[in-house]
Amino acid sequence: MGAYRTDDDYDYLFKLVLIGDSGVGKSNLLSRFTRNEFSLESKSTIGVEFATRSIHVDDKVVKAQIWDTAGQERYRAITSAYYRGAVGALLVYDVTRHVTFENVERWLKELRDHTDSNIVIMLVGNKADLRHLRAVTTEDATAFAERENTFFMETSALESLNVENAFTEVLTQIYRVVSRKALEVGDDPAALPKGQTIAVGKDDVSAVKKVGCCSA
Amino acid sequence: MYHTNSKREFSIKFQPQMQILRPSIHSRRANIIVKFQDLYGFAVEGNVDDVNILNEVREKVRQQGRVWWALEASKGANWYLLPQVSSLAEGIALKSSLKLSTLANAITLKRLIRKGIPPVLRPKVWFSLSGAAKKKSTVPESYYNDMTKAVEGKVTAATKQIDHDLPRTFPGHPWLDTQEGHAALRRVLVAYSFRDSDVGYCQGLNYVAALLLLVMKTEEDAFWMLAVLLENVLANDCYTNNLSGCHVEQRVFQDLLVKKCPRIAVHLEELEFDVSLVATEWFLCLFSKSLPSEVESPLFRTHFLSVAPTLSPSIMILMFSLTTNKFSIVPLLSRQLCGCGMSFSMRGQRFCFM
Repeated sequence: MGAYRTDDDYDYLFKLVLIGDSGVGKSNLLSRFTRNEFSLESKSTIGVEFATRSIHVDDKVVKAQIWDTAGQERYRAITSAYYRGAVGALLVYDVTRHVTFENVERWLKELRDHTDSNIVIMLVGNKADLRHLRAVTTEDATAFAERENTFFMETSALESLNVENAFTEVLTQIYRVVSRKALEVGDDPAALPKGQTIAVGKDDVSAVKKVGCCSA
Repeated sequence: MYHTNSKREFSIKFQPQMQILRPSIHSRRANIIVKFQDLYGFAVEGNVDDVNILNEVREKVRQQGRVWWALEASKGANWYLLPQVSSLAEGIALKSSLKLSTLANAITLKRLIRKGIPPVLRPKVWFSLSGAAKKKSTVPESYYNDMTKAVEGKVTAATKQIDHDLPRTFPGHPWLDTQEGHAALRRVLVAYSFRDSDVGYCQGLNYVAALLLLVMKTEEDAFWMLAVLLENVLANDCYTNNLSGCHVEQRVFQDLLVKKCPRIAVHLEELEFDVSLVATEWFLCLFSKSLPSEVESPLFRTHFLSVAPTLSPSIMILMFSLTTNKFSIVPLLSRQLCGCGMSFSMRGQRFCFM
C-alpha cells in the first residue's frame, strides 16, 4: 500500500500512451520500465492497463502515468478516452515483423487525430535482441522518424536495452516543453515580467517542436 | 425480471454500515502473500484474507453440492434437464407443461442455480440450460468435426491473431499452456471465426474460450457454449468490428452505477475517470482474466443461464461488494486500477485500489 503513497510526491504528472500492433511488446516495455520486469509468459492485454513511475528531471520529480492497451484494430474504437490528456506517446513496432512497421503510419494518424499537436512522440523498434530475425532496418526507421518529426529508438524489453532511455527521453522532452510553456504563460505576471518571456519565447518552443513532434 | 433478482442479491451483500478499517495486525497479515491453485488449475496469489474468503466460497459450493445430490436422490437423476423444467427455469412457459410439480421443480432449479452448481455438474447444467444443447441439435452431429476439418490449414487475419494469442492466453496454466491445450483452443477459436465472419476473432475471446474448455472438458461443448454466448446470451455485436455491443453494455453499466452506487459514480466523475477504460476488459473477457474461478464462475453462471439480460447487473453486484468491503475481492478486481493511484474515500474509510 505504501508504494503509491510515497509516489504521490511529484512536481509533474505526465500521461503517456503506448500504442502499436498486437504483440509488439508494449506491455513488456511498460513492465520493464515501471517494475524492471520482463515476462516471456505475458498475457495479451484487453482494454487498458496502467502503471506509474517517477523519475528525476533537473531537480524536479516527474511522474509518468503510462497507459497500455490492446493492439487489435477493433479496439481502436474505444480509444478516444484512452488518448485524452496524453502528452507523450511511444509508438511501438516489432523489428522482426515488417507489417507492424508498415502500420506505424496508421497509428501515427490515429494519434494525431486524437491528441494535442504538442504531443511528444517516440517511435520505438522493440525486440532488437532478435538480431537474426530482423526485418526492419534501423535506417528505414530513422528515415521515417525524421520525415514524421518523431524521436526514434530501438529497444529490447528482454535485454533491458534502451527502455529506460526511451521513456526518460520522452518525459524529459515533455518536461522541457511544459516548463518553457509555464514561463511563457507566466503564472505570476509580477514575478515574470513580459520582457523576460521573450527570451525563452515562441521560437524556442517551436524549435523543440521541430525535433520533438509534429507542428500543428 | 433481473430487477428483483439483483435487488435480492444486493440486499444480501449490501450493508449500510461500513466495516471499520482493519487493525494493524490484520494489515500485517494482509501482506503475507499465499500462492495456490484454484479449481481450474490457475495459480492464484492473494493475502490471507483472500484465501479465507475463497475457502468460504469453496465450502459453500460443497454444501450446495450436497443439496443437489439430495434432490437428485429424491427427484431422480437429471431431473433438472427435463425440457419442461429447464425451459420454465429459463422463463419460457410451455403451455403443455404447466403442471404444479413441474412449476415447483423449475422454481427449485432456479434457486439452486443462483446458489451455485457443483463443479462436476457444471458441464451438463451449463450446456443444457444455456441453450447450447438446443443450438447443437439443429445441425448435423458432425458439424464441429466437419468444420474444424474444413478450415484446417486456412490462413486469415483471424487465424494469424489467434496464433499470436495462443501462448499469451493464461500462460503457465498446467494444461492450457501445453501443445495440446494450444491446439484445442486454436480449433475452437478458428472454427468459430469461420462460423461467424462478422466476429472472426476478437482478442478477449481467447480467455473466454479457454475457460469454457476448462469447465466443459470437451472442445465441442466449449465451441457450442461460445456460440450460444455470442449469438444468444450477450448483447449483439459485443465482439464485432467496432465492439458496438460492448459500448452499449458500458453505457448501461454507467447508468446503473449512477443509480445504484452514486457515491462511486460521483467520485469517479471528480477524478474524471472514465470507468469504461477498466470495464472493457470485464465485459469482453467476462472476468475470466481478473477473478479467480471460484468467484468468476458464479458470474458466468448467472449470465449464461439467462438470469440477467445484460452483464451490467452482475458487475454492479461486484461494485456493491466492493464498496461494502463485504467480499474482499478488491485486490483481485482492481489490479488494473492500482497503477492509476486511484482511491475511494467513502464514509471516512479510504479504499485504496492496490
